[in-house]
Amino acid sequence: MIGSLAASRPDGARLALGLGCLGALALPFVSVRASRIGAPEPRTLVEILPPGRLLAVLALSAAVLLALVLLRAPWARVLLSLLALAGVLAGIGLAAGPLAAEAGPYARVAPGAGAWTLLALLALFFTEAASRLALGPAARLGLGLVILAGLAALLASDLLAPLSIMVEYRNRAASFRSEAAQHLLLAGGSFAAAMVVGVPLGLLAARRARLAPPLLGALTAIQTVPSMAMFGLMILPLGWLAAHAPPAAALGIRGIGAAPALLALFLYALLPIVGHTREGLRGVPGAILESADAMGLDARQRLWRVEIPLALPVLLTGARIVLVQNIGLATVGALIGAGGFGVFVFQGLGQTAADLVLLGALPPVALAMLAALLMDALIACVPGPAR
Amino acid sequence: MIEIDGLSKNFGAERAVADVSLRLETGTITAVVGTSGSGKSTLMRMINRLIEPDAGTVRIDGVDTREIPLTELRRSIGYVIQDHGLFPHWSVARNIGAVPALLGWPREEIAARVEELMRLLRLDPERLGPRYPHELSGGQAQRVGVARALAARPRMMLMDEPFGALDPVIRQEARAELVAIQRALGATILIVTHDMAEAMALGDQIAVMDGGRLAQAGTPAEIVLRPATPLVRALIGESERGFRHLALLPVAAALTPGAAEGEALPAGATLADALSRMIWTGARRLPVAAADGHGAGVVALEDILAAGRGAP
Repeated sequence: MIGSLAASRPDGARLALGLGCLGALALPFVSVRASRIGAPEPRTLVEILPPGRLLAVLALSAAVLLALVLLRAPWARVLLSLLALAGVLAGIGLAAGPLAAEAGPYARVAPGAGAWTLLALLALFFTEAASRLALGPAARLGLGLVILAGLAALLASDLLAPLSIMVEYRNRAASFRSEAAQHLLLAGGSFAAAMVVGVPLGLLAARRARLAPPLLGALTAIQTVPSMAMFGLMILPLGWLAAHAPPAAALGIRGIGAAPALLALFLYALLPIVGHTREGLRGVPGAILESADAMGLDARQRLWRVEIPLALPVLLTGARIVLVQNIGLATVGALIGAGGFGVFVFQGLGQTAADLVLLGALPPVALAMLAALLMDALIACVPGPAR
Repeated sequence: MIEIDGLSKNFGAERAVADVSLRLETGTITAVVGTSGSGKSTLMRMINRLIEPDAGTVRIDGVDTREIPLTELRRSIGYVIQDHGLFPHWSVARNIGAVPALLGWPREEIAARVEELMRLLRLDPERLGPRYPHELSGGQAQRVGVARALAARPRMMLMDEPFGALDPVIRQEARAELVAIQRALGATILIVTHDMAEAMALGDQIAVMDGGRLAQAGTPAEIVLRPATPLVRALIGESERGFRHLALLPVAAALTPGAAEGEALPAGATLADALSRMIWTGARRLPVAAADGHGAGVVALEDILAAGRGAP
């Protein structure tokens, strides 16, 4: 244990990351604007901190970076990089408080280029060390949840409250919650619908060799439509449907809103699900299917007890792609009035308020990462040989 | 008793099986031998209707298999293939208990049957029962395949190259094991193989397939002594014919009273064993032990050679 903690010859990649972090310390740590759409004025650590504290911060940073470069035990680097990330986030908050107070009631403080670079490089330190740990999917999910809990605790404390993005959040707390729910509805609803339709379609494509090329071809064509165009395209047919079919209109189907966004996300989701379902089913070895028949399983028993379970890891891999993809794409739905986190992105773009854009962009990223970890853990639960 | 009557099957323009008739007596092993593409596997798969025949019938104890519901027919016939076809997502115990579960046996009965079969096939139920097939050795997986086929006490077993994936030493063991199990359970077995030595070692009856037709069917001795076609002769191997026949005959077939020098042959030895011993020791007469261990008589070289020719 002591031996694995001991320093060794520095790893080239980690050394480069460490030097990058050192350089980032010299970049503007935060930026201050007189108002939320004002021009940013960068502030370096040298400008923010009194000399004594600056020295302490630099010494601590150098020690942590040296340890991240030299420590041999991956778990120690995982722990240290997480602590460093939390430290940088806390540092941003600590720096923002006095600066905001001093610059006036409308002033905004946001992380600067240096802080973003530090966060990114430390995240790379973390992923490098975490990948060396070679954790199983369940452990990865566990670690992800721990990090998420830590992040939630940090957000719940007042430490980050002075930051501009948090001000944007506080001004929209109610609509943030409803747009979050709407985002989950868009991504989850289209995912569920695509599973219900896509898995049987994949089964059909696996069974009927002649059907597969045209079906997969059509779905591939859909996949190539740019998302902005796709969401726009959905307005026309659904608008026409709403105008000419009163029952559809009564269900809330209109040319703009959730319905066309759900339809667009659903269409994008079909190719990965149909394709993976087909590949999963085709990958079941012939000897196993022959055994199933010879043992007297009927067609339905063969499908549910043998084919689907054996295709499940591949099928779930398709589902994982779709879930992550839909959580990201649902952001675009706001363009046609579907709601979701995209609302803040487009509002922010319209108001040139970068922190509002971030408020809409960061939550889907976190959600997508969580969904990927969840699906990986689910895939690992499928019994049988490791695939 | 299984009666195969005028069975034919074409795949497109290709003739796989043409007008094959064969009788499998209850409690015997029939080995179907042929080169690849001879139709032997197709013939086997038409018995449990994995392949539907174009013409002809299969009757099991007088009942046409087409009158039995498909799943019921298949559940009553054990099936073993070279790649064992074990379900990789099921434990060994669940694999073995699969057909009883399909038949709706009570859970305790299935568990008891699985344990009984695992012990019969020298598989430790506690250790191997909860494992998954990919954790087994080739020999273990093959035995699990046999156990699964035997689980619902089938009247009949179909086996397609069941030992093909095993190394020669384990293959020998597995053959001996199969014969012992078959004798104990009295099952009717049809085994498909391309290996005439395996057919000779296992079969009460040997059926040789050639280009979809049945070239010859008979006891191993009949096949060796009177091969009906050049292909049958070639499959036996001309240079090994005499030895193959001797390997089928027990020492008792050439036993004469008397005594001889040297270590006695065991009572269960074949004339091929006796001849082999003579080749290495230079003796022309060997003592044979009776089942009780006392001297039963001798075998002489000239008597072995005569028996090998099939002379009385």
